[in-house]
Parts: sequence; structure tokens; C-alpha cells
Amino acid sequence: MSRITPSFPEGADLEQQITNRHRRGTLGRLLFQAATIVGILALIALLYNILNQTFGLTAVQNEVDPDALVLALDEEKLLAASNTITSEDDNELVAGIEDDPYAIGFFGYAYYLQNQDKLKVLEVENVTPSPESAENGDYLLARPLYLYTTADILQNNQAVSIFVNYYLSHLNEVVTEVGYFPVSQEALYAVQDVWAVNSGLGLQAGQWTTIDPNGLGGMVRVAGSSTVFPITEAVATGIGAAGFAADIRLENSGTTAGFRAFCQRNRQTDIVNASRPINSAEFEACRDAGLRPLALVVAIDTLAVVVSQENSFLDNVTQEELRQIYTTAERWSDVDPNRPAELIHRYIPGADSGTLDFFTETIFQADLADLPKDDLVEILQANISVGLGRRIERDQRFYEDQFVFEDPALFAEVCAGAEPPAGCELEARSEANVYQLVLAEVVKPDVVKTWSLVDSLFKRQEIAQLVAEDYPNAELEFRSWLTAQFVASPQSSTPELAGVRTAIMGSLWIILITIVFSFPIGVGAAIYLQEYATDNWINRLIETNISNLAGVPSIVYGMLGLAIFVRVLEPITSGAAFGLVESTASANGRTIVSAGLTLGLLILPLLIINAQEAIKAVPNSLRQAGMALGATKWQTIWHHVLPNALPGIMTGTILAISRAIGETAPIVVVGASTFITVDPNGPFAKFTTLPIQIYQWTSRPQDEFRNIAAAAIVVLLILLLTLNASAVLLRNRTTRRLS
Amino acid sequence: MTSTSTNGTYAIEANNMHVFYGSFRAVKDISLKFPAHQITALIGPSGCGKSTVIRSFNRMNDLVATARVEGEVLYQGSNIYSHNVDPVEVRRRIGMVFQKPNPFPKTIYENVAWGARINGYKGDMDGLVEGALRQAALWDEVKDKLQQSGFSLSGGQQQRLCIARTIAVKPEIILMDEPTSALDPIATLRIEELIQELKKNYTIIIVTHNMQQAARASDYTAFFNMDTDRAGYLVEYDQTNDLFTNPKNEMTEQYITGRFG
Repeated sequence: MSRITPSFPEGADLEQQITNRHRRGTLGRLLFQAATIVGILALIALLYNILNQTFGLTAVQNEVDPDALVLALDEEKLLAASNTITSEDDNELVAGIEDDPYAIGFFGYAYYLQNQDKLKVLEVENVTPSPESAENGDYLLARPLYLYTTADILQNNQAVSIFVNYYLSHLNEVVTEVGYFPVSQEALYAVQDVWAVNSGLGLQAGQWTTIDPNGLGGMVRVAGSSTVFPITEAVATGIGAAGFAADIRLENSGTTAGFRAFCQRNRQTDIVNASRPINSAEFEACRDAGLRPLALVVAIDTLAVVVSQENSFLDNVTQEELRQIYTTAERWSDVDPNRPAELIHRYIPGADSGTLDFFTETIFQADLADLPKDDLVEILQANISVGLGRRIERDQRFYEDQFVFEDPALFAEVCAGAEPPAGCELEARSEANVYQLVLAEVVKPDVVKTWSLVDSLFKRQEIAQLVAEDYPNAELEFRSWLTAQFVASPQSSTPELAGVRTAIMGSLWIILITIVFSFPIGVGAAIYLQEYATDNWINRLIETNISNLAGVPSIVYGMLGLAIFVRVLEPITSGAAFGLVESTASANGRTIVSAGLTLGLLILPLLIINAQEAIKAVPNSLRQAGMALGATKWQTIWHHVLPNALPGIMTGTILAISRAIGETAPIVVVGASTFITVDPNGPFAKFTTLPIQIYQWTSRPQDEFRNIAAAAIVVLLILLLTLNASAVLLRNRTTRRLS
Repeated sequence: MTSTSTNGTYAIEANNMHVFYGSFRAVKDISLKFPAHQITALIGPSGCGKSTVIRSFNRMNDLVATARVEGEVLYQGSNIYSHNVDPVEVRRRIGMVFQKPNPFPKTIYENVAWGARINGYKGDMDGLVEGALRQAALWDEVKDKLQQSGFSLSGGQQQRLCIARTIAVKPEIILMDEPTSALDPIATLRIEELIQELKKNYTIIIVTHNMQQAARASDYTAFFNMDTDRAGYLVEYDQTNDLFTNPKNEMTEQYITGRFG
């Protein structure tokens, strides 16, 4: 036995050498693994980004407060009732009710106290108004009263700060004196803390200090609610007596007017007396003016429902009875047969007063969604233009037997016309339908701010707080921007209403044209090059150029498409040559056909190269077998080569189509519409595609467009995956059939 | 021992045939006559051009872009390489079975029927398929699974399927290019038996690497060798019995006794 050649390693050297070889293999494997992980991470980052935008919290704020709509409707009913006397002057009300046993009225408890010798206060739902029943909510007709100012004003206007300090120091004595119910001690502390923290004096919550106003000057302007006015007036008198030298200007203008004077750049007042919380429109106006209102609850206003002391049949009313008394009932006996059949004399404080709002709100307590259809229609009538109303009514009637917006004669004419609108056939709108209309046309919920999914999940508390501060009237709701409605709706300039239906249709149409155009040509060219073309320099040049074409930037194809399909072939691509459009003036070449053909050109090289590879991969033995049986070349290709190359060709086609779906640049050049709401109805229609839609949305300034862009990306991905999956399924089926 | 008599007619003959691949001459100056209804074996060392020769007999070399044939191959009195002859018809008359079984990726039935159908056969297709499969001694094995893929068969069965497929278009000559080289001995034996059966109806030319096969299965044997310029040429052609027992050429003797090749 001869010795093994010493040039091969032996023993320890061999072990070392093998270890080294394994090490090199491990290194290679680790590199590949790292590359794979990088790929997966990139994919995760992409998905994260998209999903983060597609779902998340939104602050939704109504353009018109639905409660205000209901209130306006109810107040109208109240004011329209017979025998109703309204007066801005409470004394007039007192005088009217005093001697009339069939009269009823309501106003601030303070006025009742002043006139308690003349009037009788009623229990409401068996609760007598008292500080306790008002504060704990047992008494129905009680509400908090507010002062509104801002931290800036407190810090920059010493007089206001001192005025508010004095106000809050002497609040409960004054309030009781004026006739309102005071707030509880805890509530008072809370309000005092608001002053302390915002006073700019470096005080913390709980560090209440009473400041002596003696000798201090400046100017304090107060405007707003007549309900709060007496308190403020009493405070002003008190502080004046304490030696406060400031000029205090009190204005009794109503809460709404008070906020109007306050929430503007040229602020007319320092403090607002308010008998209700600030509403969203006022808050927005304040914020636009750079003000951040602070609310201070100063008292509980309680409405007294009063009758004459001569009234012997009424000591208690329920909410339901009050509603009847002030609206539908004519006589007292209508409410309760045991009561006299005398006409009800209804007294109401002024139509513009906060007291009426409060009373109406409280006794009706109706939600927009609970309103009957008639009321909803009435709200529509009051809030939308007749033109819009007519359009809506032509789409579908509100009632079978009467018309709300439309002239009956005209409507009949329209329905008898050559092309009657759908509304003539359809049944009358349902209550739910009208409610949706009110929401869409009047309430108009608007997304004022959005948050990403991750923020929504992990910063919920902060977001809720932010919304409470910045958008007190907005509702925070979790929203998926990707909804069935999003997929089914056409484009819109309102992100909440915008959808991708038009874009999906456009994309699908274009893909159809692209496939129809490029698949046969691509496969045909591949067959020619692979099976028929002789190996000469011309054909080699052609093949090289096809490979190069696959690398040409897509925008270049866009230019080509613009030059050839849109311009030169305009008569064909616009459909004019087929008589499908009336004139070339209305239709240019910027149609689905042009885009489809352009994308077809774009993917043609890919298709050819892939199909060539697939055809090349068909074993030669198959061709020989076919030919040896006396088949012609074409028969062999058609029956054997193509079917066997088909799976490979399909794979290439899938890749190419996927690229085409995602293309944006050439489509832009060829002239996709950026804003189009009409679905394409054929190959000669204008169009937009999903990528264009996404591109357009991402360049819009409003945040919500980014959310729907993300949702559209999800739609695009789903569309791509669906197309690919169906192509793969088709491919697998053909493969199974063949082998 | 197989019959060595001829009835004096030749199915096909090559006269001074040269085959080129581009500028390379692969085979030179072959003149051979193949008796009808006989089995002729082509033997010789690797690279001597046996396959090139056999593929020239039904113009399969046309599939190679650079291939070129000089001289003439006479079939039924005319040169199959003349301009007015369509290679499609040549291949219809002169079938071929390849080295590796190459059934179509179709059903067994379709494998057999396809050739007949594209050649315009209008008769009873089921009968034709059955007949071809019976002739190829495959019928009993596949009659219950005609709709299964041809690939579901074993290698030997696949090769018999290829033979059935060739028979189905009713050729006169069947060329076989090492039909058993990819098969195990049992399958090989079955093919050899089959070839003996087919001899009654067809003229068979078979290329083989296996001298035992040539010796036991053929009536005539042609021995090829490679020249110094790597071109194949015919060394000796005789009845198989004579060639193996009494080779006239020294090279033939060396080859059949296993001293080279």
C-alpha cells in the first residue's frame, strides 16, 4: 500500500481544513440570512407605515351641532303654540301670570324669589327646587353658570385677575343673595384652583389666596348672559365698596353675544358671563383668535316653573306634561281631564334668551336620531337650499302623497317626461334615509384631527386629553379608513367621502387592455425569436435591444405613449374613428386605450424575455418527439412547446402585470385625470388609476388625505395580490393538467 | 438465431452521404442499403456518428440549424433531401424512437392519438390507439388507465409508449436511436422482443452501444468508426451473423472482441 500523496492535509491539518471549510459555509449562510432578514424588515416597515395610517383615532366634529338642530325645532314648536306670550322682560311675565289662574311660565329662580309673594312655584317630577336638589341633579331644570376668561388675560390684566379673585372669594354669599343656588364647596375649590394655576402668580392648586383689591385700578370688561349678570353685578358692587378703583364695564347682552364679543382678535370683553358651556363654533373662533377659554362654574341656575297663586289645580308637573303644556295641548284638560277646560296661557322668556334654550333642551331631551321623519324633513327644509332639496327629492321622494321642495305640477311633469328620474319609481324615503340625509347635508360630521394607529393604541390618554382641550365638541372615535364604502365610492374632495371605485375601475380596464395588447405580441415575438429566427447578427441585435428596452425608465415610455397613442393615433385612441364620440373636440387621445397600450409597450420587453426563457426551458426531446411523428413545426410549437412553456410565460406575465399596475409616471404623462368621479365606461373613457389616486392624495395638504392614501395603498396591494393569486391558480391548474 | 435472408428489396439507402455540422464533417461518405422488414443495427465507438447517420434518414438533423447533408438518401426511389420533398412527409413515413423515453406530457391515449390526428387520420381513433398499444405490447398494462399521464408509466413502459406512438402513424421504417440505453435489463429485453415482433411490419434501423444487443437482435450490422479527422465512416456492413463470427476488417474484430471502443 503506497502512502497517500503528502500534498493532501492529514490528521490535525485535515480537521483544521474541514473546520475552515465549514466556517466559510456558515459565513455565507449567515450573510444570506441577514439579507433575508433585511428584506423582511423592509416589508414589515412598509406594512407598518401603511397600516399605521389606515387605522387610527379621529376627532370628529359636526359642522352643525345636532342638538342645536333639535333645539331650534323644539323652540319653534314652543313659540308657535297658541296663546303664547313671550317677553324679554321677566317682570312682564310675572305681571301676566300673577292674576291669571290658567297661566304658566318659567324663569330664573332668582326672579321667583323676588316675586314669591305673587307666584306659586311648581314641583317638577315631584322635586322642589332647592340648592341640594339642583346640585345633585334631582331637580330637572337646573344648570351651571359660567364665567369664561383666559389665562393670558388673567396674567396680563391685573384688574381682571383681581376681579375674578374677589368674585371667587365672595361667590357663595353673592350667589345666594342674588337668588341662585351656590355650587358645592368642592366645586368652588376646583374653580379657585383654576384661577390659582392660571393667575401667573406661581400658585399651585390648593394655594388659594384672597387679594385685597383696595386701591388697585385698571379696567375690567364683562359681557354676556343676562342670567349671570346679577351675580357679576353684585360682585362689581361689592368690589367697588372694597375700594377697587378699576373701571368695571358690565354688559348684559346674552351668552351668544358675549362669546361673539370675546372670541375675536379685536376682543371686546375680558370676561364672558355664560349660562351654557361654550360651543364648538365659538371655541374654534376663540382658538383662531389665539384665545384658550377657561371655564369657571360660579353658580347653579335653577328654573322655576311658576303659576299664579290663584291656581288651585296644579302643584306638580312632569316633564311630559310640561312638553304638552307648552306645545300640543290647547286647554288644561288636554293634559289631564281632571283639570279645567280652560285655555292655557303660556308665558315664555324672550326667544333669544338662554333660559328658553335651557328649558326647551331640558323638557324635550330629544336626540336627532330619535326624531320622527316629519321633524327630520322639517330640519332639512330649514337648513338646505331649495335647489339641493329639489335635487334630493327628484332622486327619491320624501312622501308618497306630497312634495316638500318640488312644485307638485313640475314633479309630475318631470316624471311624465322622456327620461323620468329614478325618484319617480322609488318608494318614499324612510325615516332612516332622511336621518342620513340630515347627517350628510346639515350636520356634516367633519374629521378635524387624526392620529396614527400606534399613537391611538399607546397614547390614548394623551389624545383624549388633547381632544377635550382643543376640540371640546368633537367626538373621539376609532376609524378604519379602509371600508366597503371607501372601495365603493368615487373620488371626492372631502376625504371622508372619497373612495377608490373610479380608480379601481380605471386600473382594471387598463390592465385588461395591457394584457390583451402585450400578451399575444410578447408571446408571439418570443416564439419567433426562440423557435424560428436564425442565429444571425440582426436577430442578435434585436434580442439585445429587447433586453435593453426592459431597463428603459418608464417615463420614457410615457413620452412615447404621449407622442404615438395620444397624439398621432388620436383618432383611434379617442374612439373617434369608431364613431364612439361625437367630435374630436370633446375626446382627445388621453383614454384608457392609450394608457393600456403605453403600459403594454412598457412590459413588452419583460414579457418577451420571460416567455423566451420559458420556451427555451421546454426540453428539446419534446420538439423532436413531435417532429418525428410527422408534425409540422407549428403543430409542434402549438401543441407541445407552448403548453409546456405556459407556466413560465404566465409567471413572467404576472410579474410584468404587477409592474404595470403599480406604474404611475407613464400614466401621468399619457394623461390620467387627477380628479374624476365618473367610472370609465369603456376603453375610450377618461380614467384615473390607483397609483395616480394615491399620488394625488399624498400631495394634498389635509391630514385625512394621507389616511385615505394609505387605505388606497392597501386596496392596491390587495388588488395586486388578488390578480397574482388568480394568475398563480390558473398557472397551477394548467400545469397540473399537463403533467 | 434470426433470419438473415432478404427478399432483395431495400427500404432505404444512403449513397455517398456526408453530414456536416457547420464546417465540421461529422460523417463521411456513407453508402448503405437497408433491407426491408429486417433489423439493421448500427454499432461503433462513441462519437463515430451513428446517431448522426440514423438522424439523417428522417431529416431530424434539420432541427440542428448548422447541420447539412451531402450525397443522397434514397427512399422509395427518391432522394429525401431533394428540394421537392417535404421533411414532414419523410418523418411521417420514417418514424423515430429516441434514446431517452420522451412521452408527451399528456394522457397515454393522447400520446398515441396525437400523431395520427395531426396527420389527418379520420378513422376509428380508439381502435387505432388500441392497435398501436397492442403492437407495442403495452395494451394489457395500460388499458385501464388510458387517461393517466404518460409520465405515470415506468421507463420501459414509457419507451414502449413512444414506440406505440410511432407505430400509430403507420410508418414504413422505424429508426431507433439507442432505445434501451436508459432502461434496465428486463425492460431492455422486452423492447428487444418487441422489435422482433415489429420486424414483420416495419423496417427497423437501430443504433446501439450494446454489442450483445446487436448480435442477438439484429439481422444486419453496420460497424462505424472514427477517422483521424474525427469524421465517422462505415467500416464494415454485413449480415449480423457473418460480421460477428467472421469480421473481414481487423478493426471490426478488435471492436467486437472488446479491445477498443
